[in-house]
Order: sequence, then structure tokens, then C-alpha cells
Amino acid sequence: MPTNVVMPQMGESVAEGTIIKWLKKAGDRVERDEPLFEITTDKVDAEIPSPATGVLSKILASENETVAVNTVVAVIEREGPAEAQAKPSPARIESEVPAQTAPERTPRPGKKIRSSPLVRRIAREHNVDLNHIQGTGLGGRISKKDILTFLARKTAPESEVVVPAGIAAEAAGFSIVRGPAPEHIEFTGPTHIVPMTPIRRQIAEHMLASKKTSAHVTTVFEAEMTKIVTVRERMAEEFERSEGLKLTYTPFFVQAAIEAIKCFPIFNSSIEGTNIVYKRAINFGIAVALETGLIVPVIKHAEEKNFLGIARAIQDLADRARSKRLSVEDVQEGTFTLTNPGVFGSLFGTPIIHQPQVAILGVGAIEKRPVVRNDAIAIRPMAYLALTFDHRVIDGAVADQFMAYLKDRLENWQEPVL
Amino acid sequence: METARGASPLAKSRTDRKKTPGPDPQLLERMLYYLKLTREAESRIEQVLYRQGKIVGGVYVGRGQEAIGVGSAIQLVEGDVVLPSHRDFSCFLIRGFTLRQILCNWMGRANGPTRGRDNTLHIGDVNRGVIPIISHLGDTCPVACGVAMVLKRRGKNNVALVHFGEGTSSRGDVHEAMNMAGVMKLPVIFICNNNAYAYSTPTSKQYAVKDLAVRGAAYGMPGIVVDGNDILAVFSVVAEAIARGRRGEGPSFIECKTFRMSGHSAHDAAEYVPHELFEQWKQKDPIARFEKFLLAKRFLTEKQIERLGAEVTEQVDDAVAYAESSPLPEGASAAEGVYCGPDCWWKESSR
Amino acid sequence: MAILTYLEAIRQGIWEEMERDASVFLLGEDIAAYGGAFKVTAGLLERFGDERVIDTPISESAIVGAAVGAALMGMRPVAEMQFMDFISCGFDQIVNMAAKIHYRWGARVPLVIRGPAGAGVHGGPFHSQSNEMWFVHTPGLKVVVPATAYDAKGLIKASIRDDNPVIFFEHKYLYRRVKDEVPEEDYVVPLGKAAVRREGSDLAIITYGAMVRTALEAAGQLMTEGISVEVVDLRTLLPYDEQCILASVRKCSKVMLLHEDTRIGGMAGELAAMITEKAFEDLDGPVVRVTAPDTPVPFSPPLEDYFLPGVQKVVEAARKLAAY
Repeated sequence: MPTNVVMPQMGESVAEGTIIKWLKKAGDRVERDEPLFEITTDKVDAEIPSPATGVLSKILASENETVAVNTVVAVIEREGPAEAQAKPSPARIESEVPAQTAPERTPRPGKKIRSSPLVRRIAREHNVDLNHIQGTGLGGRISKKDILTFLARKTAPESEVVVPAGIAAEAAGFSIVRGPAPEHIEFTGPTHIVPMTPIRRQIAEHMLASKKTSAHVTTVFEAEMTKIVTVRERMAEEFERSEGLKLTYTPFFVQAAIEAIKCFPIFNSSIEGTNIVYKRAINFGIAVALETGLIVPVIKHAEEKNFLGIARAIQDLADRARSKRLSVEDVQEGTFTLTNPGVFGSLFGTPIIHQPQVAILGVGAIEKRPVVRNDAIAIRPMAYLALTFDHRVIDGAVADQFMAYLKDRLENWQEPVL
Repeated sequence: METARGASPLAKSRTDRKKTPGPDPQLLERMLYYLKLTREAESRIEQVLYRQGKIVGGVYVGRGQEAIGVGSAIQLVEGDVVLPSHRDFSCFLIRGFTLRQILCNWMGRANGPTRGRDNTLHIGDVNRGVIPIISHLGDTCPVACGVAMVLKRRGKNNVALVHFGEGTSSRGDVHEAMNMAGVMKLPVIFICNNNAYAYSTPTSKQYAVKDLAVRGAAYGMPGIVVDGNDILAVFSVVAEAIARGRRGEGPSFIECKTFRMSGHSAHDAAEYVPHELFEQWKQKDPIARFEKFLLAKRFLTEKQIERLGAEVTEQVDDAVAYAESSPLPEGASAAEGVYCGPDCWWKESSR
Repeated sequence: MAILTYLEAIRQGIWEEMERDASVFLLGEDIAAYGGAFKVTAGLLERFGDERVIDTPISESAIVGAAVGAALMGMRPVAEMQFMDFISCGFDQIVNMAAKIHYRWGARVPLVIRGPAGAGVHGGPFHSQSNEMWFVHTPGLKVVVPATAYDAKGLIKASIRDDNPVIFFEHKYLYRRVKDEVPEEDYVVPLGKAAVRREGSDLAIITYGAMVRTALEAAGQLMTEGISVEVVDLRTLLPYDEQCILASVRKCSKVMLLHEDTRIGGMAGELAAMITEKAFEDLDGPVVRVTAPDTPVPFSPPLEDYFLPGVQKVVEAARKLAAY
């Protein structure tokens, strides 16, 4: 009967140990409690006695190897009956969702309707008779999803809620880097052929589809950044101290764009057939360059957040992107996008719309430029803002009003950052 | 264990005053002043204001044991810290709290030092070097150790005095603190007011030795018994302990034998105390004894003492009137000041 | 940025605070020469000397009481409990002395009591408790429970700088198992602020300490089933971040409260009450608790496994709630 020899847990918090020396060779006979090998851990060095008498048949971890506690590092063959394996008892669930009766999907009039406090509130606010809604929850309960679907059908009878496929369904595994890595190609002939990666293929399809779908027009404004640069310089330290977050320029642009979208809701819409679908939530996407391509994580319900909330959400998405914990959902349902070619030094670009959205804002590099103020040349931090919009639904005049408003918000920044 | 009965000029037995320098007359007068002020203020609180319903809650006084607080705290200098027991009213006066402030606190007024949050002598002020008890008596002993750690590190030869009763001495905190002070050689003077009863419990049910002072040896510090009703004896024993502390020689334990000339609190008739004991100890009243000494040695005249008495009464009258006319706190202010923060409620206080 | 363990991050935080503020000092059992039972304070004696890294007798009450005394004198003591289980021996000094001084007479009591808590290491009933609620029920204290190495450093630094008594629960299971990128620079994670560790829309799991990892793992599994889970890490239990909790409740409409502590009188009960008071009409299902059962922490591995809320328990409860 073989006995496994494991890396012992030498201390309650120790997670791993290193084998310093085997005191026996494979094939040696060992007595129970006879010293077998030496280890070192964060806390102690120790000689480990053999757990059984028999022949050391296999050594599975070599000297100087570090393994997790409870890893099998050797096997001892011995005679005798098998040891009874302790079997963990089935886990009990210490949580109780109230017991449910058998599903009953069709509520009858006069019968008590099962819903929730939230559903009853939404019904009250929208004047909905819950008798008209089919519940899909346990026991036919009307859930939040049910009433929201009901309301959506009522307001837009023909359209279904379309979830944008997004370009980065595979996002979860990527890590953010400073930018795309420079490519090294080893030519063996006049050309070198590499198949597109799935994400590259998706990006290609998506970009082309977008160009075919929308009537792209780009308008470019220039904004003076003096006020924001000052605010950032003054507050950066305190902001970081009190919130534990770095104060970057991105939340300023995001916040200003949200304000502009609130004034011009057409920028938070999409086209479905011959309908324009306005979105209540501003789900704000921020394009990020990755080694493998492009990804647009989304701040959901950005309109509900203040400056700090936006800064924190950006940090959170960045953190999770870094630790590869972005979920598929993190890159879905965007309603407007910001892209920032300025980080690589671009003055401005003409970005392609992220379907099914209708506009994308590009922010160029902030740099000091000579500008004319009061008929004199002054040096000011400036940035170009490029807005690509879909001329099918947005006319140039509206786009320029949007941009003028945005520029005004940036130049006359008011909102406290803390 | 040492005893120090012979060290005081008040003691009837062997006196050896010629070898000690004569007491400073001004200091002696100040001591009498604090004794009398304490007695008068506590009597007014216990026998008048409490019975009038002007003070609610518990009333604990130190009648009969005033010499311990006065004889010890009067020696403290700038930078020293005292952690008095609930029967050491005088310590608060000596360290600079006014009688008006103290009476306001007893009466729960908004302008008292705790702004109505806590009662009786639960009054503290770090700047005055006073850290008050909490009702879990004995908890101040470990606190005194922490205070002394800092005093020692500052290197200005300061000390901490902590007072507690013989009942309190049974608590684990006192053991932990005396042991820690002994191990770390901290400048703490542990002063036990052994007043014979802890609420209704006599010493025979509190500890199994004759003198608590024997415990000093167990913690590596001197343990001294002194007549707590002899203010000069208390003074000289504490002076020696303070000097030890200032020299960096560590803590001392002083057991002051005294008697609680009241119930545990104002609502306690103390019927469990044999009447003869009160009679017996009345003869040893620390204030009467000290006055007799001052008269006999011509430090003060009858007239001067009388004048001191009148002054004290007047001050208590004033403080009572002041406290009575002071506002009670707004109920909703109870919600403020749980945490210390940048917008701290206490900062705007009149302190 | 360096990759540090949770334990190293705490040590670095303490180290930095001792460098920047001479009033910070440490006291506790076996912390100086030995470096602490878990080696959190290893190396500090050599750097800061025995006046600032003080070995004490086995006297938890005197350790806490002395910390209070030193804090009143203007210092910022950091007291170690060898195991948070032993904090009961210093309980009175914490809840009656330290917690109430500022309220009673306005003095500052800036001190930190820190130490290892939590189960999962077969420590048995006296080396495994999650006893944070003893202190959450005491006005005047702050109670902090970091879940990541980054937070462990930022929170210990914020706790040391705070002017109130802070009880700092380190999870011993995380000490050497959790590693993060921890900036070497000076930063704090503010007390009283929760963190959304993962955004989601179907249900929110509100948790803290070692259970944050459990919740994230469960959320990952649930995502494959189409259930989008938001994970909120409370970080500070007292005072807790009501705003952040309510925002997640309103967003997801369903909420699960998860902790390693036992059930009755746990943090989950408090939060459930608060949520139903303040966000009743945002709820699309019952507020669900997943916690340890109401027993002491048992020793033997199968018993301890049964006791601890694990990923599967969370996943199963979340499925039921999502379907509700």
C-alpha cells in the first residue's frame, strides 16, 4: 500500500516550502519517524520524519524545488491494510432563499400576484397593472427583468433590445500594456504570411462593418486646458491621499462628455431599422490599446456617478484589465466611446464609430502651444478634440453645438474633484 | 515590605524631626486648603445637592481619606500625570480644574468638562496631566504604564501616580500593570487607598494577606504601608517613591491604610459597617489631626484656620450657584463627537 | 512595482509609518527579537530599536491599556495581538477605556490593535475566530478588514494615521497566499470606503476579508452561467460605506451578504437591516446571507471545511437568488 509523503504545513500561514535535501534515495528502506528530508519555509527550517515504514519508491520533488503545502513529494510503498480515507462531509448551505412552491407561470386575475418591492415601485411609477405581466421568476414571480421587458415592449413595440456584440468578447484574458508592441518579422521570402488572430479578425470585421453602416463625419475643435491642468496639479496629491487613486486627465474628459451628452441625448442613441433608440443610461466606453488589439471597457451608468465615482470606475476597469479580470460584460452595452490617441502623441485622429453607437470622441495630446489671447501670443496647454459622428442621425450643426458645449465645460471646469 | 509609620511628625510614636528639614509653611497651608475644600465640596454634593435631586446618579465621596489624594498629588510637577480614583477629588483641584468646572460636571451641565457625557469625577485633561477612571476600576493601572513608557522615553524625569482601592487590587488589570511596570522599570507609583470596604465587602473577603503591600516584592518593587490618615506620612512616603521614579529606579507600591467614612455611595447607609469602627476612625480624622499639628507647631493660628474654612465655604457656594445657573446640554448633541476627526465636535468646545 | 504578499505589505506599511512619524511605536508579545508569531514585525527591532519595538509580558489588558496611556500622551501605538482570538483578554480596555475616551472628554486616542484572525488553517477554536463583530458593536472604534495586499498596506497606514482606536483584522489565511502589486511609495486607502471588486448587474455580493476571494471566484463561475455578479469589498466594517453598498443594491436589485463570521449577530444581519430600511423598493428578491454556522470554529479539516463558506456554497445560493 503506498503512502504519500507531503510537504507539511509548518505554520498556520505558510503556503509553500522548499526541499533542501533528501536524506534517502529512491529505493532505500525507511523506518517510520526516521528523518526523510529537510525543508525550509518562510518561518522555519525542519527535518521531516517519514510518515511510514517501507521502501521510498518515488521522489517527486527534487532538491531546491519549492512546492505548495500538501503537495505529494514522495511515495513510500509498504505492506498493510489501506488506510481509510476521511471523506469530507457534504457542505451544508448556510443560506436560505425562502422555499418556493411549485412554479405556477400564469397568474390568474384575483389571485395574489407575486412580485418584489422593486417591481411594485416600477409599476407604480409607470402606471402598469401587474396583471398584464407574465412572471418568469420562481413560482411565476414577476421580476425586475419581466417588468423592464414589458415596459420596453410598450414603448418600442417593434424593436428588441439589441446587445452590441462588441469587439472584445475575448477580453477577459488580456492585459493592458503601454501600447501595441513593435512587431519583429523574420522574412524568409519576399512576403511573410501570418493568419489573423481571432481578435484581429473581429476588429477587422467590425471596423469595416462600421464604415459600411454609418455615415462618418469628423469635426475637430481645440480646447484650452489651463483650468484642468491647474486643478489636476493642485489636487493630485490630496486626491491620491484621500482616495488612493491617481488623478489623471481621463475622468475630466469623461465627465465633460457626459454633461454634453445629457444636453444632446442624440449622442447616446443608436439606429435600429428606421427608429432612433435613445438610451437612458450613459454607458461610457473608453478605448484602450492592448498588445493584442483594442478593447473598450465600459463604465455602466456613468450618468449616475460624480467625478470621484468616474475616476474610481476608470481605475477599477484599469486594475481589472491589468489583473486580467475584465469580464465579457465589462466591454458590452456601451452607448458612447472616448478614445485617447493623445497618449501616443497624436494631435487628433478621425476615429471609427463603435457600432451600434452614433459617435466617438477622440482626445489628442495636451501640449503647450502659442495661442492668441487679447491680441498677444500666449503659451497655453491645448488639446484637439475630434468627434466622429453618424450623419444619418446627427447633423453637423448639432455635432458642433455638442463640441462647443464640451469645449466650454473643459475650459471653464467647475466640478469639484473631491 | 517596609512600614513608614515613624516618618511623620503627626505620628504619636517615635519622631525624628530634627533630622528632616522643616516643612515649608506655605505648602502646609495649601495642603490644609485642599483638604478642607475637598471635604466641603464633597459634603455639599453628598448631603445637599444629591438629596435635593440636583445631582442624579451615583455619588461617591472620599470622606476620611482626603489626606491620600492631597498628600500625593500636591508633589507633582509640570509633566507628571495623575490617574486618581473616584475618591480622590482633591487631585482634580490640585491639577487645576476649577470647582466650578467640577460641579458643572457633577450636575451634567453643557459647560462641564465632559459636556454632560460622563458624571462625577470622570473628568480628564491631558494638558493638566489628569486621566480619569472609568467605572471598571483598575483599568487606569495599565494606562498609567503606557503613560510612564512615554514619560520615560521623554527623559524629563516625570512620573505617573495611579490611585485605586483595595477592592480594585483584586482585579487582573492591576496585576498585569504592576508586573509590566516592574519588568519595564516604569516610573509609576501605585497608591492603594485601603479604606477597609469595597462596597460592602470587608478586606477579609478581598485578600488573604495582612498587608497588600507585600505584593510589591512579587513585582520587583518596594511595597510600603503607611497611615493614610496622616498626611505628612503619606507625603514623605510618596516623596520617596516619586524620587525613585525620577531617578529611573522603577515603580513603587504604597498601601495607605484608611477608612471610608461614608457608604459606598450616597444611597448606601453602610449598615454592614460596625458602628464602633466609624467612631474609632473618627478620632483619626486626617483633617482634624493635621489642624492640631499646625496649631501645635504654630504654623497657623485658630483664626487663620477659621478664615480658611470661610473661604472654602464661599468657594463652594459660588461653584454650586454657577453650576446651577449653567445650561443643560441639548439632547441631540448626544450624537456628536463619537469619533475624533478633522471636523471634531470637541474642537469647537469651550475647552 | 514590487509583488508583495499581504503580510509583507502590512510590514511595509508599518515600516513606512515608523519612518515618517517618530510617535509610532509597536508593542506586543514576541514582536521584537522574534519578529512576531507570523513574522509581521520581523526586522523592525533592528531598524527602530527596542524603545519603539517593545516586547511585553503576556498581558493583553496591559498591552491595550498601555497603548491607551501612550496614545493619550501623544504617541501612535500599534499593539499586536498574537492571535485576534486573544483580544478577549484585553476586551475591557478596548471597549470601555479606548472606545469611549474621546466621546467622554474629548481626548484623542490614536492607536491600532492589529493581529491575525480567521480560519482555514486548522487552528481550532482559539486560533481561528472571526471576532470582528465584538468591536463593530462598540461606538468609538473603527474596524478594518483588508482583503488584498495593496489594501493591507494602504489601510494599515490610514489606520495608524487615524486619530481613533482602530481594530485591524488581518486574515492569517491570506498572509502568504495573497500577493499583489504594491507600490513602494506612500499611499493610503481611506477608512470607511468600500471597493467594487467586480462590476455586475444581476446580483451583488457584499463581503470582506478572505471571502472577497471566494466571492470573486464564485462570480467567475456564475458568469459562465449567464449570471452577472457584482462584488463589493467592505474594507472597513465600522464605519461602513453605506453609499457604496446602496449603489450596488440599487444597480443589481438582488443582494447576497457573505462572511466567514458566524450568522447570528454577524455583519450580514446589520447590512440586511440597513438595506431593507433604505432600499426596500429597490429589491427584487430577499436579502440572502451566506455565512458560517453558529458554532465555534472546529479543528479537524472536514469539520472546518463544513464550517467555512466556500465557493460552491456561494454559487448555489446565488443561483437560487438569481432565479428568484
